[in-house]
Amino acid sequence: MALFGSSSPAESTPSTSQEIKASLIRQVQEEAAMSNARNLIGKVNEHCFEACVPTPGNSLTTKESTCLSQCMEKYIGFWNATSRAYIARVSKESKNLGGADLSGLSM
Amino acid sequence: MDSQTQLDIAKLNDADRKELTQYLANEAQKSNIQQSVHGLADICWKKCISGKISSGRLDQPEEACAQNCVDRWMDTNFAVLKHLEILRGQ
Repeated sequence: MALFGSSSPAESTPSTSQEIKASLIRQVQEEAAMSNARNLIGKVNEHCFEACVPTPGNSLTTKESTCLSQCMEKYIGFWNATSRAYIARVSKESKNLGGADLSGLSM
Repeated sequence: MDSQTQLDIAKLNDADRKELTQYLANEAQKSNIQQSVHGLADICWKKCISGKISSGRLDQPEEACAQNCVDRWMDTNFAVLKHLEILRGQ
């Protein structure tokens, strides 16, 4: 599970309320980041395989590898653009309804 | 990871409990938004990125397409709901 996250060895067991809270928050953060990354990588795989490997051969060609790297970067940029557009729109709509202002939110 | 399951939640005081509840609500909202963005990026990529990928950078037309795709998707959402209202009233 700790593929990206810190595995924090030899950390004493949290015992005070403050420590337990901090530990829970850290766990949630790690899991949220992991789940988001897993989703993103799954989509990158799907779309970039589609775009870069039209006819799978014996091995990935240099051209295909280059395409995959570029596609991955492009997908992440595209995801960020989508996120900005979505948050802007949702926050505009909810402001119209007198709801919460989400404009400060970013991912 | 195993030691983390042994946290004694009963030791949390009221203030920390309240703070955690608020924190979790925020995280849940963030997670929902991220889910929507994953779905939208998936849909819009298909519409906006066609043909050969020749650079890792998102160019201006692609970025504009992402923006339009999200906005029109939201418009569609509202249009469907609005028409549903009409159908219900018939």
